[in-house]
Amino acid sequence: MTNFLEILIRGLMLGSVYALVGMGLTLVWGVVGIVNIAHGEFVMLGAYFAFWIFSFFHLNPLISVALSLPFFFLIGTMIHKRITERLTNAPELSALILTFGMSILIWNLAQFFWTNTYRSVPYLTGNFSVMGLILAKSKTVSFFLALGITLSLFAFLKYSKMGKGIRATSQNSEVALVCGIDTKKMRALTFGMGIALAGAAGAIVSLQWVIFPQMGGSYVSKAFAIVVLGGLGNVQGALVGGFIIGVLESLVTQYMSAKMAQIIPSLIILIILLLKPTGLFKK
Amino acid sequence: MGKKFERTQIIIGFILFMAFLISIPFFASDYWMTLLVLILIYTVYASGWNLFSGLTGYTNFGLAWFIGISGYLSSILIADYQWFWLLAWPMGGLLVSILSMGVGYILLRIKGVYFAISMVALTEGTRELFGTGYLEPITHGGKGIPFVAGIRLPTLYWSILFLAFATVFICYKITSSRFGLRLVAIREDEQAAETLGIHTTKEKIIAFALSAFLVGLGGAIHCTYQNYIDPNYAFNIQLTLTPIVMTLFGGIGTVFGPVLGATLFTFIHEILWAELTLLYMAIFGAILMILILFFPQGLLGWMKEKGILPKIRKI
Amino acid sequence: MTVREPLLKIENIVKRFGEVVALDHCSFEIEKGSIAGLIGPNGAGKTTLFNVITGILQPEEGHIFFKGKEITGRRPHEIARMGIGRTYQIIRIFPKMTLLENLLVVGKERGEAVVEKALQLLERVKLYDKKDEYASDLSFGQQKLLSLAQVLMLDSELILLDEPAAGINPTLQNELMELIHRLNEEGKTFIIVEHDMKVIANHCQKAIALNYGQKIAEGSCSVILKDETLLEHYFGR
Repeated sequence: MTNFLEILIRGLMLGSVYALVGMGLTLVWGVVGIVNIAHGEFVMLGAYFAFWIFSFFHLNPLISVALSLPFFFLIGTMIHKRITERLTNAPELSALILTFGMSILIWNLAQFFWTNTYRSVPYLTGNFSVMGLILAKSKTVSFFLALGITLSLFAFLKYSKMGKGIRATSQNSEVALVCGIDTKKMRALTFGMGIALAGAAGAIVSLQWVIFPQMGGSYVSKAFAIVVLGGLGNVQGALVGGFIIGVLESLVTQYMSAKMAQIIPSLIILIILLLKPTGLFKK
Repeated sequence: MGKKFERTQIIIGFILFMAFLISIPFFASDYWMTLLVLILIYTVYASGWNLFSGLTGYTNFGLAWFIGISGYLSSILIADYQWFWLLAWPMGGLLVSILSMGVGYILLRIKGVYFAISMVALTEGTRELFGTGYLEPITHGGKGIPFVAGIRLPTLYWSILFLAFATVFICYKITSSRFGLRLVAIREDEQAAETLGIHTTKEKIIAFALSAFLVGLGGAIHCTYQNYIDPNYAFNIQLTLTPIVMTLFGGIGTVFGPVLGATLFTFIHEILWAELTLLYMAIFGAILMILILFFPQGLLGWMKEKGILPKIRKI
Repeated sequence: MTVREPLLKIENIVKRFGEVVALDHCSFEIEKGSIAGLIGPNGAGKTTLFNVITGILQPEEGHIFFKGKEITGRRPHEIARMGIGRTYQIIRIFPKMTLLENLLVVGKERGEAVVEKALQLLERVKLYDKKDEYASDLSFGQQKLLSLAQVLMLDSELILLDEPAAGINPTLQNELMELIHRLNEEGKTFIIVEHDMKVIANHCQKAIALNYGQKIAEGSCSVILKDETLLEHYFGR
């Protein structure tokens, strides 16, 4: 029984990080209208960001998580202004193919400069036990970090002026424009936020798993499953979706095999798209 | 009179060109022949992809699924059951086209990006599944199947040449037919097409299955050519991506765009791969981005727009 | 003793979008060979009704009969092939096809017959000279004519026109209405959604008024249009 509870908690912890990646994807897709296949590559870049800061400056990885947010926000807005903004009125599939190209470009460059060597941030190793449950320190810290960022995001979208502007843009871009909201700016900021979430998720990932240039692929497929589960543009739905994916992965890994766990995202995407294409949750 | 003369010229030119291609094994080196085999395989992939996605506008991101399924069946038949290659290939193509009818019936009601993603999910899911222990008795799991089909390079070359020719010819016939027009109508406005009496689901599934058959045949030949198959190789996203890039490069929705794209791109690939192996994928990605941003209509589309080529569907 | 079947019979149709009732137990009949006007304020359910008749939307309740056969729940292409054609308020021709291709794609005839028929229709809507141009290059009014020609290519007996006269110049408008009358004389039946009361008064034999998804009046045009209270009440004149 303890074992089962442990697996469940492990799944929730895993899910909190996946949710972060998924929320970024769903925001960018829902508000900006761009399906960012390269989203996973920013998770990878976030992980390397934390790794290099740790190895050069020996800064506490928790600080690099905090630093990753503004850093990737800037990168994201820049990419949007230079590249993806041109696709505002292009067919949805153009963005799909463009970001596919971007994804390949980024991971190959990462491979070229940083090689295929597996890296990790040796910090907070070991376990601790609470109420008879044995948990990894790094994963527990990651869980609270991810949850903290998630809650800040919710508060930001709900209460800040910019957050309201973003929500208005996502619901009806034309009406928002008439109401004096600079939708172009909102889209750029949202793109930045989406990338920032991916980057931060990567920095958190670096605390618990190995880092390598092609790691983005598995995150982006999970993020797509999360978006499909939670409904397009639905941030709360993405959080629940993240938990679902995390728990399922943890259960399947334990009771079947790690290889089978890799099929979960694909399976979820197919099942949900067939049964309920609008996602499980109402906006 | 002038038009008829022109037509005769085109036909003579075409016959000479085909005669040249057929005679290649008699004088060309193995290097050139393998290069041509690759060009022809990718011509089949790109034309086959374009036949469905270029005309209907449903972006199929599951080309590797067609290739993998057909490649697996034909390779297993050859390796484990000692089938003759010429019989094994069509089995692969048939299986994948029948399966694709089912898949199409279910997935083709999903529009736009979601369709693209669901096809990626199908491919990735199948790839993982083929590597697990559950299917190991059939697929040999993740370690793959090395095999020898006992086919000589010239014979393989003629086979793929025939398939590529047939594929392009079918694309040509369809694009200039009313079936082709109905597919384009689906791309332009599916609902309007429906209220004008077009059975869109049926048309989409036919095109999808035909595309699966041709690409599947190509995949079977490809695996025989490589003498090897494993899940990561047969269901590789790269096999989906490369033909799409080639088609975009040559001109999506045109007949000869994919041929042009496959030819030019295979050469570019040869040069890049030899010179810049480590950055090959990065350059590939960058080209993809530049194409979408600056030349979304591709080489042939651009030539049609500038009036270098006539604006007709037959090109 | 034979009772004449109406060409189209709408029976107690209900269509909801979530909480909103777009069509609320709507019933009426259309006689063969008539031109009927469908009027009502924005959001009265006129376009929704067209979508339900053509099978794009499925009604929650009620039945639709065409030539005595029930067509409720059938797929749009089946309904189209049975003989109901429509045009859209926002024109939906196929822009990246030539005019000729726009018609050929609809036709069912084999061989040369289909080309001949398409060319004849292009002649009829006075677009023959532009047959090889892309439809996207046409003016708005010409696109409306092309859209009508597509429906004629289908040999529809009943043609639903969603605001055919809106947004085009008076000359073209007259041409279009004249064409509709000639087609009517040849036996085609029309239902026309229109905001311009003059068009309805001049061209329709009968008008059906909708509001909040309900039929609020039905009768000859002169009666409906003379009813000042109705106009005031529902159209805010």
